[in-house]
Amino acid sequence: MHKARTVLDRVLVVAGVIALWQMASLSAGAYWVPAPWPVLKTLWAMAQSGALARHASYTFQAAAWGFLIGGLPGAVLPFILRRMPRLSAILDPYLVGGYGIPKLALAPLFILWFGIGIESKIAVVASVVFFLVFFNTTAGVRAIDPKLVQMARLVGASELLIARRVIWPSAVPFIFAGLRVSTPYAIGGAVIAELISSNRGLGYLVQLGAMNFKTVEVFAAILAITLIVIGANALVNGIERRLLRWRPANALNKDAASGGM
Amino acid sequence: MNAAAPLLEIDGLGKRFPSRDGRSMSPWVIQNLSFSVKDGEFVTIIGPSGAGKSTLLNMLAQTDAPSEGEIRFRGKPVREAGARLSPGLDCQIGYVFQDDTLLPWRTTIDNVLFPLEAQGRLDDASRARAETLMKAVGLNGFERYYPHELSGGMRKRAALIRTLVYDPPIILMDEPFGALDAQTRVQLQEDLLRLWEAGRKTILFITHDIAEAIALGDRTLVLSRAPTHIIGDHSIDIPRPRNLRDIYAVPQFAGLYETIRAQVQ
Repeated sequence: MHKARTVLDRVLVVAGVIALWQMASLSAGAYWVPAPWPVLKTLWAMAQSGALARHASYTFQAAAWGFLIGGLPGAVLPFILRRMPRLSAILDPYLVGGYGIPKLALAPLFILWFGIGIESKIAVVASVVFFLVFFNTTAGVRAIDPKLVQMARLVGASELLIARRVIWPSAVPFIFAGLRVSTPYAIGGAVIAELISSNRGLGYLVQLGAMNFKTVEVFAAILAITLIVIGANALVNGIERRLLRWRPANALNKDAASGGM
Repeated sequence: MNAAAPLLEIDGLGKRFPSRDGRSMSPWVIQNLSFSVKDGEFVTIIGPSGAGKSTLLNMLAQTDAPSEGEIRFRGKPVREAGARLSPGLDCQIGYVFQDDTLLPWRTTIDNVLFPLEAQGRLDDASRARAETLMKAVGLNGFERYYPHELSGGMRKRAALIRTLVYDPPIILMDEPFGALDAQTRVQLQEDLLRLWEAGRKTILFITHDIAEAIALGDRTLVLSRAPTHIIGDHSIDIPRPRNLRDIYAVPQFAGLYETIRAQVQ
């Protein structure tokens, strides 16, 4: 019953947003704020011509590759550094510094280095995702209950087994917190890199629409981006729920560090 | 092995920790502590809070090195001077912690099987043994439950049989039933005694409850305040099997209780 109620409330919120959007369109003029219905029609037309799939898949690819290339070392490096406290101490200020750099300011540099192709978008996404996942995973590795590690040693577990069966599972919730926070940033990072320079992708569609003064296309592209973010988020949450079935229900969605771009 | 030789000998054990700045040493936490334990003996250890009980167990379990003195297992020193610690002494010493230390992402049965997995001894026979133990403490039917879905008493039982399942000759227990309500506590004590009488492990059981120390032990050692050493060694001559619910009514009980209480301050 509780769940059905939530879904109903969400539908109500969507209806409210659409109503506000319609009102904004009426008061500001359809040129500046196109009404919901024409935007949906434009999106539908883009979907039918295949343009939406082409541009969306480009953006999605950039985000997914960046997610992988940034997220994987971000999730693995803390486990290696755990065994090397000296190296960890040396690297710490640089990692914090790297976290602090606004990654979008690096986009022009990445475009110079990697060209206007998909590589520069992947680089932007990876640089954003890496730090978010790295710091969340580090928090997870540090939060491990030393008693559990001691118990495992006492019953004869090797260091490798301890890493796999004790440290890894207790860090997984933190890794997922990092992934969950990173997901919208990954897609957002890809889109913004496309905005700066690209001839494909949803960010390019936004840019193209704006250059041609077709706000309805800008809105359609933004709507498509939003839907992709929601879908990707649901995917990450679904995987997380499967992997973290062992957690009490109220412990989920609790321990995310947030990040900036 | 010489039948008369004790299983475990603790000889002149001392421990102190480096101070926070690392340049000097703290006062002795434990000093000149000696006792020995026979094979199959149930020894309870009681002492005031802050008496370094956990520090003592950590040294026995080989997770912490003594500052002086020696520990001998079956007549042999457990560690050459300066050699690395081997936690659990190659699975010869089991440890039941104050907290249950179950892995929250593993089901009850997978937690119980964890030591066997760690030791590469997971086979049909050991699985059957785990199931028998689960049944013996009433955990059958809860194999697929996660720790957070169990009651405190059930988690303790799971932690207890996780140690019993790989059959270490010595089991250390650090106030394992401290945080339980009285009813659950007696049930767990009964479970423990039943399992011990079936297997006759050597158990060193730390508690701060004098009645518990008398009810469970063959022998009760009393620790002093820091620097901790043994100030009392009482043989508990109450016949077994014991009825834990009426242990207060046993004629020897009152005398033992008074003597021990006089030593524990």
